[in-house]
Amino acid sequence: MLEPGLLRTRAALLRALRSWLDAQGFLEVDVPVRVRSPALEEHLEAFQVGGAWLHTSPEFALKRVLAAGLGRVYSLGPCFRDDEHGRHHGAEFTMLEWYRLGTDYRGIAQDLEALLQQVGGDLGVPVPALEHISWARAWRDHVRSPVPADPVEQFRGWVHHVEPALQRPTLVWDYPADQAAFATVRGDRAERFELYWKGVELANAFTELRDPGELLVRWQACNAHRRAAGRPPYPIDDRVVDAVGRHGPAGGIAVGVDRLLMVLLGLSDIHQARVPG
Amino acid sequence: MGLTYQTSDFRNGLKVELDGDPYVMTYFQFVKPGKGTAFTRTKLKNLISGNVIERTFRSGETVAQADIEESPMQFLYEDGDLYQFMDMESYEQVGIHSDLIGDDSDYLIDNIEVRVLKFKGRPVTIDLPNFIEDEITYCEPGVKGNTAQGATKPATLACGKTVNVPLFVEQGERIKVDTRTHSYVSRVK
Repeated sequence: MLEPGLLRTRAALLRALRSWLDAQGFLEVDVPVRVRSPALEEHLEAFQVGGAWLHTSPEFALKRVLAAGLGRVYSLGPCFRDDEHGRHHGAEFTMLEWYRLGTDYRGIAQDLEALLQQVGGDLGVPVPALEHISWARAWRDHVRSPVPADPVEQFRGWVHHVEPALQRPTLVWDYPADQAAFATVRGDRAERFELYWKGVELANAFTELRDPGELLVRWQACNAHRRAAGRPPYPIDDRVVDAVGRHGPAGGIAVGVDRLLMVLLGLSDIHQARVPG
Repeated sequence: MGLTYQTSDFRNGLKVELDGDPYVMTYFQFVKPGKGTAFTRTKLKNLISGNVIERTFRSGETVAQADIEESPMQFLYEDGDLYQFMDMESYEQVGIHSDLIGDDSDYLIDNIEVRVLKFKGRPVTIDLPNFIEDEITYCEPGVKGNTAQGATKPATLACGKTVNVPLFVEQGERIKVDTRTHSYVSRVK
């Protein structure tokens, strides 16, 4: 059912996000959603459309924009992921991503906290101060058994024991290196954090990887896993590899906007937080 | 292993077999970390013990269908620890131990029709109708003119169950009760 009040609140959220980013000097970029390559993601399924793909996030386009010399950029728009259906998942959803040169994931965490305070203020929903925990500590506290070597069992332990325990707004810091995705790795940890609130994953941030050789290695490994699982590999987009080697030190973050609205309003389903497709 | 369900088949009410016991699914949710594999979180109620467990299945994992047969049966009488029912299709008489029926036995009035669940041919539990109608055998008299919202009093039914009813309801009246919440629904003419 379409609630006029909900749609007004949703519009206020989109306005609040844009107004904070604009005030901080971030430039909105309307990225293409039909792209040459959809992701560097072993576990995301992208839609194929007429010889191209629908993007699963604006990450690749924004990396190229960053390398073109714009130091503060964001995109707020639709993303598409196949095979994800549920109360917190949809084939189409709205994502906010921003990237900032001259910082790392810590600076992005400060951005995020300030943005959430602005949004909470504009919407009249109090947002508590963020809590902080490391991935390793969250595992120890909530799973209470050694981290299994099998990545599937690691994810199972995470979604079964840890996620439901993260009820207060919490940043989970420093993921295992094998879950680095696009993050810089230091030692055995990736410089990556996620925001959880009410047990829901709301945002994912990195100190952005700047080594094109390492990016190629990760991309090829991802595609090898995808082929082994009988899923299509994702084309390596040379422009993205090139961009990663050219932009300066940067941090970036993706925020699920439908989920953020759902959690702010105490709804139980993202499909109540948007016009259903 | 016999027939199985995929995670994409999951829904509330699904009957599955885990570690040799029959379970009914009472909750399921697709979950997937942004950078990880997909799972379905579930809550499953053991049909024999009534205990609820939580299990998280990887997408594509299979789980055995429980060999459950449901038959409509009529309650006949209580006989020590056994409640006797008659299968309304085969007319076979079946005794079910009171431990398996638990508190649901409060609602077993003569001739009431229930569904008996058999796991691998053995009765394990009964499903009551969602609503039953029964007569109030005792309650305090109604207070004339008292229309206080939400005020209730206990009323004992012929089956033995006690439920809270609004003050205007009188002894001797028949009422409709929701057996899932044990709550008063309405008076019945």
